Amino acid sequence: MNLSLAWRNIWRNRSRSFIILTSVAIGLFAGLFVLGLYAGMMRSRVRTVIDSEVSHIQIHHKNFKDDFDPALVMDENLLKDSLRSVQGIQSIAYRAVTQGMLSTATGSAGVQINGIKPADEVLVSSLNTKIIEGQILNEETKSHLLIGKKLADKLKVKLGSKVVLTFTDQESNMVAGAFRIVGIYQTINAAIDELNIFVNQQTLNTYLGLKQTCHEVAIRLHRDEDVEQVKLTLQSQFPQYVVESWRECSPETDLMVSTLDQYSAIIIVIIMIALAFGIINTMLMSVLERTREIGMLTALGMNRPRVFLLILLETVMLTLVGVPLGLFLSWITLAYFQEVGIDISSFSGAAMSGFGFSSMIFPEFPSSSLLMVMMIVISTALLAAIFPSLKAIKLQPADALRQ
Amino acid sequence: MNTSTSTVIDAHKVSRTFNPETIPVLAVDDVHLHLERGEFTALVGPSGSGKTTLLNLLGGLDKPDKGIIHINGVDITKLPANKLIDFRLHNIGFVFQSFNLIPVLTAKENVELIMQLQHRKKTEIAERVKILFHQIGLEDKVNTRPAQLSGGQQQRVAVARALASKPQFVLADEPTANLDSKSAANLLDVMAKLNVEEKITFIFSTHDARVIERARRVITLVDGQIHSDTARVETNVPHEVDKLKL
Ligand SMILES: Nc1ncnc2c1ncn2[C@@H]1O[C@H](COP(=O)(O)OP(=O)(O)OP(=O)(O)O)[C@@H](O)[C@H]1O
Ligand SMILES: [Mg+2]
Repeated sequence: MNLSLAWRNIWRNRSRSFIILTSVAIGLFAGLFVLGLYAGMMRSRVRTVIDSEVSHIQIHHKNFKDDFDPALVMDENLLKDSLRSVQGIQSIAYRAVTQGMLSTATGSAGVQINGIKPADEVLVSSLNTKIIEGQILNEETKSHLLIGKKLADKLKVKLGSKVVLTFTDQESNMVAGAFRIVGIYQTINAAIDELNIFVNQQTLNTYLGLKQTCHEVAIRLHRDEDVEQVKLTLQSQFPQYVVESWRECSPETDLMVSTLDQYSAIIIVIIMIALAFGIINTMLMSVLERTREIGMLTALGMNRPRVFLLILLETVMLTLVGVPLGLFLSWITLAYFQEVGIDISSFSGAAMSGFGFSSMIFPEFPSSSLLMVMMIVISTALLAAIFPSLKAIKLQPADALRQ
Repeated sequence: MNTSTSTVIDAHKVSRTFNPETIPVLAVDDVHLHLERGEFTALVGPSGSGKTTLLNLLGGLDKPDKGIIHINGVDITKLPANKLIDFRLHNIGFVFQSFNLIPVLTAKENVELIMQLQHRKKTEIAERVKILFHQIGLEDKVNTRPAQLSGGQQQRVAVARALASKPQFVLADEPTANLDSKSAANLLDVMAKLNVEEKITFIFSTHDARVIERARRVITLVDGQIHSDTARVETNVPHEVDKLKL
């Protein structure tokens, strides 16, 4: 009887029930949407880090990253031979890397000079897809150079402009070379675009006085999950070098991914507090409106646990109607935006690309946290219902009936 | 203290003061009251004389500051809150002035609710509902919601509900106050019939002279005290007869 009484009671004041029902639905929707948005953002950030910035695994000479000393080289032939037999590798790029100064007639900037093999680089970091003007380097022409859009704008250089690179060779002698800009690239990470320029590895090695060596190996794997495994294998094969996964090469990304849960938790807590207040408020109103009736039920002999249960049941029923509604809402909304993406460039585009985030977010349905979010919403509703239910059992029948 | 089987209510030196801290109102003042099984008693008195307060005390809806109330031999002033609720469920039937029924339940469900709270068997409930609706003459309204019933019909359903639990007595606070005189007379007919035929004990408060006429005993309250307690001559006889029979 309590069940059917509760069920009928929730349809007495339709607009009030509708408020609770929609707050539950919206609470669930908001929680799932935020999680979906975050998950989408993080996934795309990680994809960017792996696919176009760091790749899965990098190998360097032990102390190379300390101050980019060009003398700290690795034996490229030895690496090539050994890496051939490692399982899970999709593609490998060998690079010469040094730091120097890029000068034009009017200005200069500190840069990281990456000597690359264009054919390999296309496979590892998809450099070709980022060229927005001109073309990618070709192996034959020695003095060609790719520059980032941000740096090109800053130094006011264009395709075809001549620039001079100054750096030190492996014996610490100052060297300089003239290069012509054949391509301008742009990634979603402005900080990278401002710092990195690309030339042929052969050319750079010649300037540095090196042969058959590299400073950096970037490795793409077939599957993301293999990173730790392959990293361990490589580290044992090359104890003299440092083998790092993308997590170590881009610690800020790793931090973002690992703090994501905390951010989501905070946002969900805020949403749930709003939901709880909505429910407390509305159910309290519903109890107060029925003071006489609840007082009468108590007078007739309905005991406190039953009265408590009645109010609790009403809330649970509204929640249980609201939950599928919210789920459905989240599912279609997220499915839609997963297709078309959400363009946030209009209000935070520049800021996002400064952190290496794409301004297009493709949220994904957070199926893994679905159950958790549902449990949180339902328990919030239950907890919120306790207060109005307590209020109901505190009613004294004689007082309630006087109203 | 009278715990003989014919005694239903035995109230002894009962007082109830509201707002003792601020402006004290002595609503019931040192009342003695003794009610036998089968009585049909009216509680009358001017507005504010303490009728509702006294009925609430007798029904276990409120507790006296002083005095003892025995219902069927049980001192209800000593019962803890949860026991008292249970006691009301099994021993006392209530009819209030208005808005007696749960609006979302049909007439039948309103009556059933009480018996379900008592955990009675389904078959027993169905049987009793049938009898009760026959007794109040509303067999054709069992599946009607209160809003579709007239005020008088609602009060008759309330009487059926009060009887559903097979209580020791039925307590009604101005049951006819919101009814036109014809419905009021009709309700009193139903109550009187149940009193005579089923030996149901009624105590009801009223302002209505025509209702007072129907009572066999009239207790008048003034300022919370019993001013007079008279058995009506022509109806006193069956009352005594009842007493002898029990
Ligand atoms: N809960 C309460 N708090 C304060 N005063 C109360 C309360 N209940 C009743 N009173 C006061 O106690 C007195 C008796 O009230 P009661 O309702 O019992 O009178 P009544 O005889 O039923 O009146 P009526 O005929 O108008 O129903 C009145 O003065 C009333 O104001
Ligand atoms: Mg009154």
